Parts: sequence; C-alpha cells; structure tokens
Amino acid sequence: MKSASAWVPDGAVITPLDEDDLLAKVQTLVDKKVEAVAIVFLHAYANPAHEDAALAAIERAFPDLIITASHDVAPEIREYDRTSTTVTNAYVKPLAHTYVDRLVAQTKDLGISAPYFMMLSNGGLTHIAEAKRSPVQLLESGPAAGALVAAHFGSQAGIDNILAFDMGGTTAKLALVDNGEPHVAYHFEAAREKRFAEGSGLPLTISAIELIEIGAGGGSIAHIDAMELLKVGPESAGSEPGPVCYGRGGTNPTVTDADLLLGYLNAGSFAGGSMNIDADAAARAMQPLADKSGLSVIDTARGIYEVVNENMASAARVHIAERGKDPRLYTLLATGGAGPVHAYYVARKLGVRRIICPPAAGVASALGLLIAPARIDRVATVATPLDAINWPDLEAAYRALETDAADVIAETGFDPAAARITRLADMRYVGQGFEVVVTLPAGPYTAESARMMLDAFETSYRQTFSRTPPDVVAEIINIRVSLRADVPGERAEFATGAAGETGGGQTGTRPVRFPENNDFVDTAVYDRARLRPGDSFTGPAVVEEAESTLIIGPGGEARIDDAGNLIVELPQ
Amino acid sequence: MTDQQQAFDSATLEVLWTRLVSIVDEAAAALVRTSFSTVVRDSHDFSCVITDVSGGSLVQATDSIPSFIGTLPRTIRHFLDEYPAETLQPGDVLITNDIWMGTGHLPDISVGRPLFHDGKLVGFAGSTAHAPDIGGKIRSPEPREVFEEGFQIPIMKLIRAGEPDETFFQLLRKNVRTPDEVVGDLWAQVTALDLMADRIDGFMTEYGLSTLQDLATEIQSRSERAMRAAIRALPDGVYKNTISTDGLTEPLDLEVTLTIRDDEVFADYTGSAPQVDKAINCAMCYTYAMTAYAVKCVAAPDLPNNEGAIRPIHATAPEGCILNPRFPASGGSRALIGHFVPSLVFGALAQIMPEKIMAGAGSPLWCITQSGVTDAGKSFAKLFFFNGGMGGTAQSDGQSCLSWPSNISATPVEVIEQLAPLRIRHRRLRPGSGGEGQHRGGLGQEIMFENLTKTPCAVSFLAERTRIAAPGIAGGDDGAKGEIQINGDTVDPKSQHILKSGDTVMMRTPGGGGYGPVDARNPETAQQDRDEEKV
Repeated sequence: MKSASAWVPDGAVITPLDEDDLLAKVQTLVDKKVEAVAIVFLHAYANPAHEDAALAAIERAFPDLIITASHDVAPEIREYDRTSTTVTNAYVKPLAHTYVDRLVAQTKDLGISAPYFMMLSNGGLTHIAEAKRSPVQLLESGPAAGALVAAHFGSQAGIDNILAFDMGGTTAKLALVDNGEPHVAYHFEAAREKRFAEGSGLPLTISAIELIEIGAGGGSIAHIDAMELLKVGPESAGSEPGPVCYGRGGTNPTVTDADLLLGYLNAGSFAGGSMNIDADAAARAMQPLADKSGLSVIDTARGIYEVVNENMASAARVHIAERGKDPRLYTLLATGGAGPVHAYYVARKLGVRRIICPPAAGVASALGLLIAPARIDRVATVATPLDAINWPDLEAAYRALETDAADVIAETGFDPAAARITRLADMRYVGQGFEVVVTLPAGPYTAESARMMLDAFETSYRQTFSRTPPDVVAEIINIRVSLRADVPGERAEFATGAAGETGGGQTGTRPVRFPENNDFVDTAVYDRARLRPGDSFTGPAVVEEAESTLIIGPGGEARIDDAGNLIVELPQ
Repeated sequence: MTDQQQAFDSATLEVLWTRLVSIVDEAAAALVRTSFSTVVRDSHDFSCVITDVSGGSLVQATDSIPSFIGTLPRTIRHFLDEYPAETLQPGDVLITNDIWMGTGHLPDISVGRPLFHDGKLVGFAGSTAHAPDIGGKIRSPEPREVFEEGFQIPIMKLIRAGEPDETFFQLLRKNVRTPDEVVGDLWAQVTALDLMADRIDGFMTEYGLSTLQDLATEIQSRSERAMRAAIRALPDGVYKNTISTDGLTEPLDLEVTLTIRDDEVFADYTGSAPQVDKAINCAMCYTYAMTAYAVKCVAAPDLPNNEGAIRPIHATAPEGCILNPRFPASGGSRALIGHFVPSLVFGALAQIMPEKIMAGAGSPLWCITQSGVTDAGKSFAKLFFFNGGMGGTAQSDGQSCLSWPSNISATPVEVIEQLAPLRIRHRRLRPGSGGEGQHRGGLGQEIMFENLTKTPCAVSFLAERTRIAAPGIAGGDDGAKGEIQINGDTVDPKSQHILKSGDTVMMRTPGGGGYGPVDARNPETAQQDRDEEKV
C-alpha cells in the first residue's frame, strides 16, 4: 500500500500527508481481514511526524488494528532494513500479544504474584508492555541468556574476556564477552533461507547479543566430498535418529561417534548411564569413510575431531577479527553437551591459553534469566559530520533518549536513578558506509566535547582496523543510549551442588587418543561430582559429569576454583 | 625442503584448506570494514586471493563477485613478469589497473604483496577493488580509447619495503575527483594484504610448513579432478548460440561455439562483433571470468574458486573482437557486453539441459553516475546501482530487481538522498515487466529522480536491454525492455546528458525472461501475481 507523503533527509516536509487517501487504503486492507499494519515513510528516522499522524489517524478509524510505525521500532536510515524490521514486528505483534497475555493470566492463576519481566535479544530484561510494543526485540532472547550466564561464570572466576562456546547436538554458538559484557550487535539477520549463510535472512535493526552459529554439533555428519576431502556438517543427524552409537537407527557417522571411538566418551556412563552406547556400530559406520580416505578407522575419527574443531575455530577467528580483537587474549568458556569435549582443542587452534568449564552448564540459559539486568537501548539517527554538530541539540537528543529509556526502567519497577547509563555513537569517516559503535564518556556534551568524541572514535577505529586514514572528517550517524539497572540480588551465589565433598575424584583410567599422540594413552578419568575446590591435576585427563565430558590434553593444568568452576591452563 | 611432494590426507587437507579460506575471508572483512566508497562496502565489488609463488590461486574470498574469477591470479603473474621474484622484498606492494592485465576496466585497482616466510618467498596475497573514481570521463560508454577513461597505473611498486611511494599518491590524488575516498579505499586494500601476510606467516609456523607449494598442488589438483569429473558428466558435443545486445547505433551480435570434449570445455567466440570505438569492449580476462562462471554454475557450482577448478575451462576469441579487444580500446563499461557472456554460454547449454539453465536476466546491472559541483563549490561524483529482474528457471520464478551475474546490491533511497543532490520521486516494481511463463521472469524497477543541483550537472548511465529484451527459454516469454527518459523524453542511454535544476530522470530496468509455456503456470500463483499487481 502506498501513501503520499515525502520528506528530505534533513526532515523537511515536501508533500503533506493525505489522511483521507490513507484511511481509504487501510480500509481495503481491513476488508481483506488484515489484523496488523506496518507504517513506513521515507526519512522517518529524521522526522516521525507523518508516521505519528498516520498512526493516530488509523488508530482512531480502526481501533482493533495492531499497528507498528517504523520510527518506533527501528529509527535508523536505510529504508529496506527499517521496513523489514517494522514488518517483522507487525507480523509477530498479534501473536505476541495473545501469547504474553495468556502467559501472564495463567501464571497468576498458579498463584504467582511476582512482577513479570521478559528477556530481550540484547540480554536485558524489560516489562510486559515494552515487550508487547516491540516483540521483534524478543527474537534471540534464549541464546542471549546463554551468553549472559557465560559472562557471569567468567566474572565469578575473575575473568573478564570470555569467548563463550556452546556446542550442542546440531550447532555450535560463539559469543564474545569483553570486560564482563557480551558484545551487542545492532543488526541481526533472522530466518536464514540458506542455513548459516550471511545475507540469506531478514535484516533486522534490533540490538541483540552478538552470536555466531555454525553447523557443528555432536550430531554433525561426516562425509567424503567430490574432492576426497573429509567434511563435517552442516547436515546433522540431530537427536533422532542421532549418532550411530545411540542405536536409534542412525547410519551416518557423526562427531559423537568419532568422540566415542577416540575414548573421549564413556560408553558405560553416557548421559548418566541412561543410554546403551554401541561403539562397534560407530566403528562399522566409520569404515566406508576410512576406506575412501585411506586412513584407519581411528585416524578417520581423529580427522573428524580435527575438522569440526577447525570449522569452529575458523568461524571464531573470522568473527573475532571482524571486531579487531585478538583471540589469544580470551578465555574459552565451554557449555553444551559437546562443548567440553571439544573446547581444549578449539582453544589450542585459536591460541587461547585457558578454558573454563562451569558447573551446571546444562541449565545455563535459565540461570541467565535470573541474573540479567533490566536493560533498555534507544537509538536515533543524527547523520552529521563532527565539525557541523550543534552541541546543545546533540545533548538534548541524548537526554531525550535517556528520559525515554529511564521511563521504561521505572515502569519495569526499578529505580532509574540507580541505572547505569552508557552513551554510544555509531561513527564513521565521511564517505564510509559502515559505522563503528563507539562507547563515549558520560555527558553533558558541549562544543568542547568534539575532541573527546574524535579521540574515542579513533581509538575504537584503530582497535578494529589498526590504522586510521589521513585527513578525513568523522561523522556521527546514530546516537544510542543503553540503560541498565541490576536486579536486586544479582550477584548472589547459586548453589549448584557441583563441587563435591569427597575430593580426589579419580575413578580409574581408560585409553584415550589425543591429537598430539600417535596412539592411545592410558588416561586418568575423574568424576566431576567428586572434585572439590582446590583439587588440581595435570592432563591428559578426562572429567566426566552427567551432561558432558571435559577432555584435557597432555600438559593441561586443571584446578577447581572456589565457585566450583573447572579451570584448565593450556601448556605454552 | 625436499623435492618429494608432501602428501596430505583427507582430514589434514580439509583442516589446512579451511584455515586458508578463513584467512582470505578475514582479509575481505577487513577490506569491507575499512573501505570508504559505497562500491566496495555495499556492493562487494572486490576480491582477495592467496596464490602460490607462480601466481596460481589457492583460495579466493567467499564473497567475491564472478568478474574476478581467475583475474587476480593472472594479474599477479603480470606482476611477476615485471618484477621477478629476486626483485621482491618483504613489505613490497605492487599495483596496476591496466585493462588487459587487470579486470578489463580502469576503476578496478589490483594490488599484490609477496608473502615471505623465514625469509623465503612462499606466495602472494592479492586484492582487487573498484575505486570510487579514476578520473577521465565519468563512467560512460563514450570514451573511444583507454586514454579518455582516466588515470592509468602501470605495474609499479606502490610500497617499497614498507615505504609508500609518495609521488604516486600525489599523482593519484591529483587525477581523481574524490581523492580521500580513492586513497582511503587503496589503504583498505593494503590493510587486507597486511592481514593476509601476517596470517599466512603464523599459519605456516603453526603447521610447520616451509613452503605453500605442496599444499597448492594438492588443492589445485583435487579441484581440477572434481571439475573434470563434472564436465565429463556433460554430453560431449558442439553447441552454438548467438545473441544480440543493444549495441550502439546498431545491435551487436555475440556468438559462441561451445565444445564439450571429454573433461574439458572450450568456448570460442569467433563470429562475435569486432571491437568498437566505445567503452563497451570486454577484455579477454573478463570474457574468461564470465565464461568460467557460467560453466561452473552448470557443472560444479559448489566447487571453491582456485586455479585447478578453472583449468579445464578454456576461452578464445579472435584478437580485435569485442570480446578480446586490442590496445588502446576503451572498456570502462565492459559489463554492458561482458554480462551477456554467461547468458550466451547458458543459451548454448540450454539445448542439452534446459532444466539447469536460467532464462535471460535483465542484466547487466544498471547504474547512474551524477557529477558536478555542489552548491558549496566542491566537485562531486556519485555512482548508484539498480537491477533488473532475473530469469525464471525450471524450479521457480525469477527474483525481482536482483543483480546477475554480479552480486551488486541496489542503493537505498535514503542513502542516495543523503549522499547526492538528487530526490527520488518514486521507486517501484514495474508490473508486467517479467516475461510470462510456467515460471515468470523477475520484475524490473522504475525509479524517478529529480536533479537538485543549482548549476547544471552531468549524468551518465550503464543501461542495456533497452532494445533487445531478456529472452525466455523452453517456451517462456521475453521480459520487458528497459528505458531511460529525461523530462519525459526517451534518451540514448549510452551518452552523457546534462541536467538543469529540476530536470527529471526516469529509469526503468528490464524484466527477466520466463521459463516454460505460460499455460503450465499454476493458476493460484497467477492469481497471486494479479493480487500483488505484479502483472
């Protein structure tokens, strides 16, 4: 549906809004039983007056329609991305309203009277009304909670820079945590048509904890391709039929089958002893690959382990490099069923020197929901070179965003005065099309702040790209604020029960094949539940727990810290 | 080092290869993120490669556009002819934009850096990127010779052992309209080379490699075997096809004789029109890249790009032909001819396997270049891209407004209005522009601009299929032709035009051809087309 209305980039009106025409067109949509409407006008990021007017007029005429205006959910330049975000929001809004209302009503019926919060993709909590206003923000909230808890376990162990590595049955997810904060991206791609391929999804301009997802999990299937290369994934046997060794009808050799043959997994105590594991079937399924590649079955299994590790390490390497960071400065935190099995050797490929394996990693996301702060992000487009900025206007624009965000924090039931306010700006050199999101010092800003902003930008720019170009003016595209208020008791310790009472913890030995060795070596096996704070030992070692197994290579130094985290230092 | 070729097992090779790809992808990410012009960052009009010591490519960045298949490694070989290995030292960066040794037009600047490990030359890192400006006549088909097209860079050392050639930078800045953007992008290319050099050094140390040669041989020979096997599966034979393009005053014919013999493909373009004194000549390097792309699409689309994968694909054209022009032919708008090459090859293959072929696309991409002086007295040149519809296939309707065969995205309205003194009065799909068929061709687009400069400015275009439509296949209809109007009058899209304040330009991009007879179209889909005003 088209409606006459036009603006220019600085927000001046060219064609006024024709309300009668607009309402006639909306009527044709209503006649077709449309429930939700998205309103997008060009340059509405600069001047939302027409969108506001259209919204008000439609609301008056059609009170039952659920309406989303673009400046309200994605006030950023680039009409395609803004429209995609607005339409996605309009699409999910009726569903979200029904779902959230029912959820609230039913928990009330259960006698739960606590205030209700929802996790957003940016890793912050908000109240129900905000979630219903802009449900597109809820999209990635589950994985966001996982990244938050990684940051939490890291800070508990006194480590601020974390590479969160979660490997499950079908995919592996990686997220960076710097200075105790997960990275937040301001663009997100949903529903990729071609799995994992960038550019094949819907572009959404929402803030979301930045995660990369790759098709590498315990169920990933290994095969030999046309070039006689050993490939692993992205096709997955999932959990049904699952790996061959599960004996549920899977016939394709998977990463889990390889892990079992290498001695990393204990066939007897798999999933707490609740499953019958068939190592012979795994070996038989591996035989055709071995025949094609000319390797033994065990070397094929070793190859699968190496290849899937390299796939994950390569994805992490490109991801980290895109942000101008150095992987060697991170600690890898492993969660998920397959994460601890692969963490040590993914770390080695990245040059990472330390891994953490937290207790109770299986319920990580749920824990994240308990420790998340209330967080509200707001954005506005400025698109002005630094040397042309009207400083009182800029300060007023930041204040307006802060007031708006503080109102939501207050409505959520937190004290906005205690909230941490971060000002940020998307900056670039004039002519560039990618912005660097720069964290700025606190305001208020005056004309004297130009130098400070340029310094902050150039520091971030150099961190990312290692050099700054000569003689180019910088500009601010978007300004952002982020308000966070801690949930009372956030830093409370969780009684995970993972640190055992008995100490020692070694239960025996078994032959294990490590990448450094050409044969199996007899390796100490520990029971995680029987390790306690202060215990330490040197790899090679295998640490078993109900949900996963931690593999420690030769020379790795393991210890249990006071919080029950297992920390492993890799040899130089 | 021994003379014995080191053997790599399936797993080890996969691990090393994955790492090499991640290195060029890292470099590509750095190039995109540090570039200044819209061309590189929004249109991915660039490439990064790593080659062996003789210029044979090992890996190419995943997002590279087809125009660069095989071109950059050839440029590296030209670098080597000019600067043999013994004249190279760590920290050198070589450069050229020579049409014949590069990619067929001057705006593509190619740079290469020798890679050293333990003091020994082990290979090259290369990158090509489309510069936002290169001087000369603004991108239009009018130049008669390369001399009119802008600043020519012979093969030379841009950086000598870490020392940039300041004289060169002064000359370059003086000869381009937007020196900050051009030089900024060139430094972004150098950043990408630096990154590749650093990563390769670390990679070789980690895996104890003293040379890349054994790895290169292994990667290339496996890719070559896979491509040969794929070609062997195609029926042997000689397949001819001829198509016409808009041309200049008269349509120009392109002709291919495609021979599939055992495990090799030979494309011979004898019979195509002779070179012309307009900048639409398509240098052999570009003709080859487009040929290799088309054959790969049909035979082995998933095969990674490297020397081995394209070795069984051959292309020849008589010297002096529009697909292999002689010096000093101009070629700035080579895409106007070159983007037809994949369609030409597809047409030949459609005779034996229509189910694998897409109907004619509304390609090549269109663009508008606006240049002049801002109200503040500063000269400017802005380039924006638009696309026609793709062709229908045996599987589905063609996509609307999508670039093919180059992956260049259309510029957003809000960005155009931010960057250039233009107002977009409207931009919309062209109903009915897709060729009807069992699977309809994708739609073209209609964009109306108004010029806002106070003093007159110049506009020029890349626009094709304004006379000859994108053909349907297997019984599908042709797509709608494209059109450009200024103030309501249809104009010659191949000439430069002057716009006064308030003048309007209407661009209508062509639709794609349909696949299969229209009576085979699903009636529900046909109704949906009517509901959505696509027909």
